[in-house]
Amino acid sequence: MSYPEYPEKVESAPTLKVQGVSVVYSNGHQALRDASFSLEGGTICALVGVNGSGKSTLFKSIMGFLKPTSGSIAINGLPVKEILKQRLVAYVPQSEEVDWQFPVSVWDVLMMGRYGAMNFLRIARAVDRKIVEESLKRVSMWEYRDRQIGELSGGQKKRVFLARALAQEGKVILLDEPFTGVDVSTEHAIIGLLQELKKAGCIILVSTHNLGSVPEFCDQVVLMNRTVLAYGPTADVFTEQNLTLAFGGLLREFQFEQSTIQAHDGRKVRVFSDDERPLVFGKDGHLEYRDRSDHEELLKQRSKEHNE
Amino acid sequence: MSESLQYLLNPLQYEYMLRAIWVSALVGGVCGFLSSFVTLKGWSLMGDALSHAVVPGVVIAYLLGLPFALGAFVAAILATGAMAFIRAQSRIREDATIGLVFTSFFALGLVLITACPAGLDLKVILYGNILGIAAGDVMQVVVIAVVVLCLLGLKWKDLMLYCFDANQARALGIKPMVLHMILLGSLAAVAVAALQAVGAILVLAMLVTPGATAYLLTDRFGKMIWISSGLGIVTSMMGSYASYFLNGATGGCIVSLQALVFLGVFVLAPKHGLLASRRARLKEEIVVKEGVS
Repeated sequence: MSYPEYPEKVESAPTLKVQGVSVVYSNGHQALRDASFSLEGGTICALVGVNGSGKSTLFKSIMGFLKPTSGSIAINGLPVKEILKQRLVAYVPQSEEVDWQFPVSVWDVLMMGRYGAMNFLRIARAVDRKIVEESLKRVSMWEYRDRQIGELSGGQKKRVFLARALAQEGKVILLDEPFTGVDVSTEHAIIGLLQELKKAGCIILVSTHNLGSVPEFCDQVVLMNRTVLAYGPTADVFTEQNLTLAFGGLLREFQFEQSTIQAHDGRKVRVFSDDERPLVFGKDGHLEYRDRSDHEELLKQRSKEHNE
Repeated sequence: MSESLQYLLNPLQYEYMLRAIWVSALVGGVCGFLSSFVTLKGWSLMGDALSHAVVPGVVIAYLLGLPFALGAFVAAILATGAMAFIRAQSRIREDATIGLVFTSFFALGLVLITACPAGLDLKVILYGNILGIAAGDVMQVVVIAVVVLCLLGLKWKDLMLYCFDANQARALGIKPMVLHMILLGSLAAVAVAALQAVGAILVLAMLVTPGATAYLLTDRFGKMIWISSGLGIVTSMMGSYASYFLNGATGGCIVSLQALVFLGVFVLAPKHGLLASRRARLKEEIVVKEGVS
C-alpha cells in the first residue's frame, strides 16, 4: 500500500529535545527533576518506569498541558506553543480515559483528528474525508466507520484512536499504554503500524509497563524514575542493572540458576507467560532477545567475549 | 363539539398567552440545545448551582434598575470563581464545594428579597412568571437566546470535542479553557432566561431532561442536539399552553411534560430503552442456552 502524504515527512524528519525539565505540582509534589533526552525521526521509543515515575507528567509536558517549572521541550527546534499550533504532536489516549458511551461514531472520532486543519466551523473538506478514509483503511476499520465507539472490541477501540493520530498527521505520536486490554493479534497489528510510521520518519513515544514487549518493537528506551535514568538504544539501556535501578524490587523475576533448571536442561528451557511477556537476561545480566536471527552481530560479539 | 374546540382555542385569543408560548418555546429550545452538552459533560449539578447562584444578582440588578441579565451574569461569574477558589485552596471535594457555594448564594438572594421589598416577588423568582413577563424582560430573553444559539450553533463541534476529549482539543491547538468559558457562560446566561420561564427551582430540569431523553434515542451527537432542542421547544410550547387551564403553573406544566416524555423514552427507546435492553438480554440468554444444548 502507498500513502502519498507520508513520504513528505521523511524529508523533514522531526527532532524531539527535552532539556533539564522539572515539574513541580501546585501541591509541592516534584514529579520530574532535571529530565533530559533527545530523539530523532524514525524511532519507536519506549518510556519505561513504575507508576508515578513521571511518565505521564512527561507526556503532558510534551503535549503542552503542563508547563515545566524549569527546562525546555522543543520539537524541530520549536517551543511547545508553536508545536501545538502546528499540531505536530498526536496523542493516543489510554482506553480508561475515554467515555465510550459518548454518542459519536468511529467516523466522527477520526474527523476530530482533522479539526485543527479545518476552518473555524469545522466543516470537513474533500481532503479531510480522504485522509480519514485512508487512515481508517490503514487500521482495517473502514467497515466499522458508522459504529458507535462503545460497540467496538478492545482492540478495535485502540485502532480507532491510533487512526485518529494518523488522520491528524502528527510527526510525534504519543501512545499511553497501548497494549492494555488488547489481544495478541491486535498487538501485532499495532506494532506493524507503528513500524510503518517509524519508517515514514515519525517519532513514536510509547509509555508502557509491559517490559517484555519493549525489546521486540522499540529501538530506543527512555528509562524513568522521577527523572531520566538512562536513554538510548534498547540493548544499551535495557540491562539488568538499569532496570533494577528503575524498578527497585518491584519486578517479578525468575532466576534460572536459583530455579530447578539443571545442567541437563541445557538450552531447552522454555518460558511461558499469559499476560506480561517475560524478559530474559543472560549470565552477565545482559538482555536476551527472543529471536537469534535478528541479532547475529550481538551474538558474535558476546560469544567472543566469553570464549576469550 | 364546537364548544370544546372553542374551549381549547380559548388561550390563543390572548396576547399574553401567545407571547408566553413563543417566549417559552425560545427558552426551551436554547435550554434543550445546551442540555445535550450538560448531560454529556456531567454538568447537571453545575447547572443547578448556577441557576440558584444567579438569584442575588437578579435581585441586586432589580434594586439598581439594571438589566437583570447583567446582575445574574455577574453573580454566576462570582459563584464559579468562588467554587474554583475553594476547590483549589482546600481539600473539600468538588460536589461539596458546588453545594456549599450555590446554597450560600441562593440564601443571600432570599435574604435580599425579604430585606428589600422593592416589589420583586419571591414567587416569581422561585416559580417563574412567563404569563406575566414584562416587555423589557422579553427583550432580554430574546437577546440571550439569540446570542447563545449563535455561539453554540457555530462552535458545537469544538464544544463536542471538548466534552469528549479535552486533551485532543489541546493537541490540535484549540484552547479548552476558551471552550470551557463559552459553555459556562452559556449555562449562566441560559439559566437566567429559563428563570423567567420556569423559575429557579425547575431551571435544572430544562437543562438536563431534554438532553438525557435525546441521549437515549441516538448515538450521534449531531442528532442528539436536534432532538433535545426540538423536545425543549415542543414541551415548552405545550406546557405553557396547558398552564392556561391549570391556573398559571407554567414551569410545573413544562417540566412535567418533559418528565413524561422522558419516562416514555426510558421504557420504549428502540435501542437504549428498558424494553429493548431486556429483549437484547433475553436473546443473549437464548443463544447461550442453545449453545449449551
